[in-house]
Amino acid sequence: MHALIQGIILGVLTAGVYALMASGQTLIFGIMKVVNLAQGAMVILGAYLSYQLFTSFGIDPLLSIPLTTIAMFVLGVAVEVLFLRPLRREDRSELSLLVTFAVALLLEGIMSVTWKTTVRSTNTGYANSSWTVFGYQITLVRLWAFLLSIAALGVLYLLLNRTRFGRAIRATVQNPESARLLGVEASRVSALGFGLGAATAAAAGSVYGLLYPFNSGSHYDLISRLLSIVLLGGLGSIGGAVVGALVVSTSSAIVASAISPSWSEMTFFVILLLVLLIRPQGLFGTTARGAI
Amino acid sequence: MKLSRTSRTHLEEKGVTVVHYRNRLQRGATATTAAAAAVLLIAGCASKASNSGGGTAPSGGGSKAPLVIGASVSLTGDFSDSGKGVQRGYQLWADTVNAKGGILGRKVTVKIVDDASSPTQVVTNYQNLINKDHVDLTFGPFSTLLTIPASQVAKRYGYAFLAPAGGGPDVFKQNLTNFFFVQPAPTTQSGDVFASYILSLPAADRPKTAAYAELDDPFSAPIAENIRSKFEAAGIQTVYKQVYPSETQDLSPVMAAIAAKMPDVIVGGTQSEDAYAQVKSLVQLKYSPKFMFQSNGANSPLEYPNKVGAANTAGIMSSADWYPGSKASGSDAFTAAYIAKYGGTAQTVDDNSAEAYAAGQLVEAVAAKTGKLDNATIISSLHAGSWPTVLGDLAWGANGAPTGEYNLVQWQGGKLLPVYPATVAQASPVYPKPNWGG
Repeated sequence: MHALIQGIILGVLTAGVYALMASGQTLIFGIMKVVNLAQGAMVILGAYLSYQLFTSFGIDPLLSIPLTTIAMFVLGVAVEVLFLRPLRREDRSELSLLVTFAVALLLEGIMSVTWKTTVRSTNTGYANSSWTVFGYQITLVRLWAFLLSIAALGVLYLLLNRTRFGRAIRATVQNPESARLLGVEASRVSALGFGLGAATAAAAGSVYGLLYPFNSGSHYDLISRLLSIVLLGGLGSIGGAVVGALVVSTSSAIVASAISPSWSEMTFFVILLLVLLIRPQGLFGTTARGAI
Repeated sequence: MKLSRTSRTHLEEKGVTVVHYRNRLQRGATATTAAAAAVLLIAGCASKASNSGGGTAPSGGGSKAPLVIGASVSLTGDFSDSGKGVQRGYQLWADTVNAKGGILGRKVTVKIVDDASSPTQVVTNYQNLINKDHVDLTFGPFSTLLTIPASQVAKRYGYAFLAPAGGGPDVFKQNLTNFFFVQPAPTTQSGDVFASYILSLPAADRPKTAAYAELDDPFSAPIAENIRSKFEAAGIQTVYKQVYPSETQDLSPVMAAIAAKMPDVIVGGTQSEDAYAQVKSLVQLKYSPKFMFQSNGANSPLEYPNKVGAANTAGIMSSADWYPGSKASGSDAFTAAYIAKYGGTAQTVDDNSAEAYAAGQLVEAVAAKTGKLDNATIISSLHAGSWPTVLGDLAWGANGAPTGEYNLVQWQGGKLLPVYPATVAQASPVYPKPNWGG
């Protein structure tokens, strides 16, 4: 029982990080109907950037997040303008799979050349610290990761609900034609939205590097998890991404702790399949275009 | 580091084949019989002057033909990192021997070809080395995967096969009499020395309960399983055992389950990243067992303290064949030569290089003892007695499986020291393991 509760604690704390990554993924889909297969690679690039800032300048990964998110935001906008915008609107959903996968491979190649394929991890002074609460261990780095992810999701929420830009995004998601008629420039929203998705990847990457060792090939594992989380929660729903991340993380941790790590991934996919059978649009997805 | 991290990845084990160069005398003789070849060789060795420059000798100038050793090594592909370590070891040994005037008056040339980590290319390479290049001897490639097909080619042509990096169980199942794995023990038995040490403790000091966390990989889980069977036979109760797949990203839940059982000893059948993750999780969970052994990862002198924090290494055990500061035969000279040629410190010497170097030492030792350099003599000699190398004294069973044990190493004061058996120990084993953070 003790191990089980400890597993749940670990799972919940880890969920925040996945929620952050998945929120960017689902945001991009909501705005552009593009499944961004490069989201995992962008997370790993974010992890490398914060790793580099930490090892070269001693900047704590949690503090370097503003720097890496700005850099990745610019990269995201560039990717949208250079690679996605030229696609014809009617082909975009299909072709964007190929294009974003190509971007993922390109980023992987650049990271391999720059940082080699050696597995890295960002080891801060507090990396192994934990608090004992009622006999359970709350690892500090996971707690920070969790709080930071919640904060980043909060910022994202405010951005979408309290700013003019956010309203433009939501309008585009709900009805692109009407939004255009009302003066929302769809291409600009797409570029900024993609940049925003990349920025969340950067923030999540900084935290990811604290929790797990990574190298340029780590994005394959990540993207499969991210797509699963987004599907589970419902494509385009940020709230769904958070719930999806919670389900994935805690079910993985509980099964790994109580049964075997070999079954943890499978258990999750069983849940995913059941949800999709009963509710094909995911837990929080809507069949019509809807809110994010 | 040099510790026999025989299984950094299962593909990474090393296999080295040593094939004797055929000298001109042998060349004439192989067409007839092995006996005739031996006679000719003896004659050749005995009469230096008459041999030099005569017959089919390719080199003139009054000196003997060089001893050419062929090896296929993975210089590209999956095993290229380790393969290059093997290449450095072969080359370093040749340089060292040549600086002393060669073997039996013959300079040593190592002909290395790249197999791109491919089990089909490695076969082509050895066929070419033997049939086209007419090398005198062959040394092995890297990994069990490549050593198996390569050793069969060598067997077909009667070449001795000295393999420093191919010690998986399937290699020995071939029952090849020309094959010798140049490490102290088969890879999957590299942890047996830890069981020997634990069972050597007074009954009151021995652990009562044990937990096992094993990477699902042919060179990790079996090491821990061998330890488990010895522990269980000795009455040490297994309270937890878990095999995790290599793609397991987060080991915290497994280690949390182990910590909840509070075992006296934790045995990790590990490679590298998972070894670091085990320790980090245990530190975070604030559970420090009385004994902790990790089959690999913990024997990496540079990486390990970097990844888990130097203070957390205290008391953790692993096993190794070569290690910095080893007093085994020729180890000091090997270390000095390695640093002189490739730079770095003793801590950065590649253990793949030490194992490859040891293959060369065996040829040298057989020549010194028998005065011969032919494959038949090498095969029969190595099957009898034990032979000193930088890895310690090596001996083999009929199928080429080494019959020795690795050395038990332990982190003490930030250094990795051999602590068992007593014949190699540079410090006494520390137990119980200090708490995390030293």
